[in-house]
Amino acid sequence: MARREVYRNRIELLQGTLDMLVLQTLRWGAQHGYGIVQAIRTRSGEVLQVETGSLYPALHRLERQGWIKSEWRPSEHKQRARYYQLTAAGRKQLASEHSRWNQLSSAIAGLMSPGESEGQA
Amino acid sequence: MSLWRWFTRRRRERELAEEIQAHLAMAARDRMERGEDARSAEQAARREFGNRTLVQETTRDMWGWRWLREAWQDARYALRGMRRSPGFTAVVVASLALGIGANTAVFSLVETVMLRMLPVRHPEQLVELLQKYPGEPRGQLNWSWKSYEHLRDNNHVFSALIGTSIDSRARLEVEGCEPETGVRESVTGNYFPELGLKPALGRLIGPQDDPAHPVAVVSWSLWANRLHRDRGILGKRILVSGVPATIVGVAPRAFAGLRVDARTGVWLSREPVQNGLALMARLKPGVTLRQARAEMAVLYRFTIEERSAGNQDPQIRHLSVEVEPAGNGFATVRDRYGQPLSVLMGVVGLLLLLACVNVAGMMLARAAGREREMALRTSLGAGRGRLLRQALAESLMLSAAGALLGAVVAYFGTGALLRIIASGREHERVFLTVQPDLDMLLFAAGIALLAGLLFGAAPAWNAFRSAPAMALRQAGGAGDTRIRRLFGSGLVAAQIALSLVLLSCAGLFIGNLASLERADLGFRRDSVLSVSLDSAASGYHGERLARVYQELLGRLERIPGVRSASLGGPTPISGAGASGFAEVEGFQERDEDRRWVLIHYVSPKWFETLGTPLLAGRDFTIQDQARRVAIVNRTFARYYFAGRDPIGKRVTLWHVTLVPETRTYEIVGVAGDANYAEIREPPNRGIYLPVFHDGRVSGSTFEIHTAIGPESISGGVRRALRDVAPGISVARIAALADQIDASIVPERLLALLSGFFGALGAVLAGIGLYGLLAYTVARRTNEIGIRLALGATARDVTRMVLRDALATVAVGLVLGVPMAIWGRSLTVKLVRNIAMQAAAPLLFGAAAIAAVALLAAYIPARRAARVDPMEALRQE
Repeated sequence: MARREVYRNRIELLQGTLDMLVLQTLRWGAQHGYGIVQAIRTRSGEVLQVETGSLYPALHRLERQGWIKSEWRPSEHKQRARYYQLTAAGRKQLASEHSRWNQLSSAIAGLMSPGESEGQA
Repeated sequence: MSLWRWFTRRRRERELAEEIQAHLAMAARDRMERGEDARSAEQAARREFGNRTLVQETTRDMWGWRWLREAWQDARYALRGMRRSPGFTAVVVASLALGIGANTAVFSLVETVMLRMLPVRHPEQLVELLQKYPGEPRGQLNWSWKSYEHLRDNNHVFSALIGTSIDSRARLEVEGCEPETGVRESVTGNYFPELGLKPALGRLIGPQDDPAHPVAVVSWSLWANRLHRDRGILGKRILVSGVPATIVGVAPRAFAGLRVDARTGVWLSREPVQNGLALMARLKPGVTLRQARAEMAVLYRFTIEERSAGNQDPQIRHLSVEVEPAGNGFATVRDRYGQPLSVLMGVVGLLLLLACVNVAGMMLARAAGREREMALRTSLGAGRGRLLRQALAESLMLSAAGALLGAVVAYFGTGALLRIIASGREHERVFLTVQPDLDMLLFAAGIALLAGLLFGAAPAWNAFRSAPAMALRQAGGAGDTRIRRLFGSGLVAAQIALSLVLLSCAGLFIGNLASLERADLGFRRDSVLSVSLDSAASGYHGERLARVYQELLGRLERIPGVRSASLGGPTPISGAGASGFAEVEGFQERDEDRRWVLIHYVSPKWFETLGTPLLAGRDFTIQDQARRVAIVNRTFARYYFAGRDPIGKRVTLWHVTLVPETRTYEIVGVAGDANYAEIREPPNRGIYLPVFHDGRVSGSTFEIHTAIGPESISGGVRRALRDVAPGISVARIAALADQIDASIVPERLLALLSGFFGALGAVLAGIGLYGLLAYTVARRTNEIGIRLALGATARDVTRMVLRDALATVAVGLVLGVPMAIWGRSLTVKLVRNIAMQAAAPLLFGAAAIAAVALLAAYIPARRAARVDPMEALRQE
């Protein structure tokens, strides 16, 4: 029970960002869950490691909201896998989240810049 | 859409599993491509993935309908649990079904008799107007036309006053149909408009209808069942007890008159000036019942003056008017069955409470047995809230099953109740129509839910605060917490207390019924056949009828098996009777002390036939029909003569039912008291007059004392009647004992049902005690083994278990006695004519419970005594 709570908290913590990252990743084409994890990891220079416990709930939630859709098709290794794909609504959502993110990060950057010496992490 | 997802849930589950499987396979393949060997690659992929089940769980949560999914799981889990212990389930479901069924059945009657509103416009505004003598429990509905007009035209509190006179035994004849007996209402013109009713066909009676041309509205059920829904009946003729009227319409389907206990078949427009009206009024908006009562009290003086004119009955001055709410119809049934039904509702409520406590006890014991399971599940990560919900789901499943079965019980129970109620005397027979409708089902579902929550609370709480570490540590479960044991015993004690209340209540009603059945009525109940004749259609009357009846008396006496035959009127215990005021020479009484004297018309041999002793003087003879002679009863003789000899004295009777003139009689005999009118009332002053007098006959019921079973001569009676007077028909032929039984239906209803429920309650309490002891013995097997090993004998162990049982029973009785006493005084207050009896019912209840308890304790005690110490100790 306790561990489950931890997962939940993390989902909530990351929710906005994770959704955006997933949507962003799918801009380059349909992808399955494993592929999304790998893509985020490599594109972030191995910094961001998406937990499967957050990813799959996020994928299913996004699908339910109609921002992505899924279909089963064989992977490059003839493995049947579920591929997720951005929908039109998802593209719009991604755009709005992206602009929100830009606002947020520039605002945070503005707040953090006076104390240049420390604000790196 | 969402619902669709719910149905495709299984496929989605499978797909999710496959998706995760694909993820793992791809991760492992990547690792293998980087040079790891197959096994470690797979393991690493799994490690990296994390808790697969948990991922599935949290992902599933995203699908929505989580609560539904979990509820479904809980329900399935509960069903599995129920299947696993069929015995437990059967007992629980059966006791709940009886509890819920009994409540639903009684409630359906309460609803019909007391709660259901008439299907008319604003029924809550309706009130009825009653005239009441002081001290009389029931009011009379009988109003004169003049009073109606006076009240209608002079009041300021009613928006309308409607009048109807009801004949419950009218003969209805429509051309081309079998004639039938039905209820007829003669209504004032404003009846239908003011009730706001719309016709199902044609039109209803209105104020415009010409009194010279009576019109009729037939009920929906008469139209549908007897007239075959013939739309052509409009304009046809209907004969109502011989009076012709033109059918103008069919009443709406839902409406069957202003009484719940009788379904009106036909409504007639009435001529004004006819008397015998029942009055119902609609209060003006904003007018309170109190204002209406105050104004009616003033206007009622008119009626008193009207009634006293030409009538010296001093009691009339004491009449008063009552205004009572009547949104559910005229109150006659409510008066008769309202109180018994309220008491029954209380009784079945207690029974359900008892069943709930019983089930709670059993569930708690079972929960204790599953403590380790719960603890394991908690430590494996089950949420407390979830466990609580699951425990509740189990209770609710059980109560739902109980409710389903209970609905069946209620269906048959209601039928049985209605049959009992309909077995009453003819003039007060009640025909209720109770349909299993939505209200009943909602009621059953509601009390099932309530019961489930009630008995589920304890196990749920138990699940909620289960302490896994403690429970897991207790290996064999030998240690039981003291609190829990006390709680378990407390529940059983509560059951015993409740069942004591039920039993003592049953004892009260059974005792009451028995005393009525045993009561000395002053006449013979058994071996008397009572034959009522109907000469209306025979063409015989007056002297000719008297001669025929005399001849018939002679014929009846010659039937083999007949000891004596006699003719009288009215029939004993029929509830009807003639009465008048008596004036005795030399006896002065104040007007307000005057009481009605009951008058019985009897033939010679009446006293011999009915076994009423003649204390002095002589019986009537056939020659007395030419004389004015009378026989008085003992109460009459005591009151008017106080020790002096009444024989030869003269008594003058006036204001006698159906006899306009005043007559003086010579007293020729004194008979013992007999309760002909009502068996619940003490004997009244009574006087017997010859049934054959003035060339007429004033009675139509033959009483026949038989040497054999009274019913076995009815064939002979019918033959004799055919020979002597072929045109006369038999209205009713039955043993006198049956007639007496029919007069005490409410009492029998109460005794029968409270006895049944009391027995049921005792059985439930017995099961509860048995369950507790069996459980305790099972939990203490270890301890008992040690005791036996240390030298205790089997008897010591038996005694220990019995002592436990007795302690619980004693606590229950101590709790129950004050409750039972309180319940009894409440019952006596609620139910008329019931005697506050001595401690007998209470003692009976306590003894019955002690017996049940001993029986229940016997098996566990024996099992405890047979514990094999070696076995018990090994069983760690």
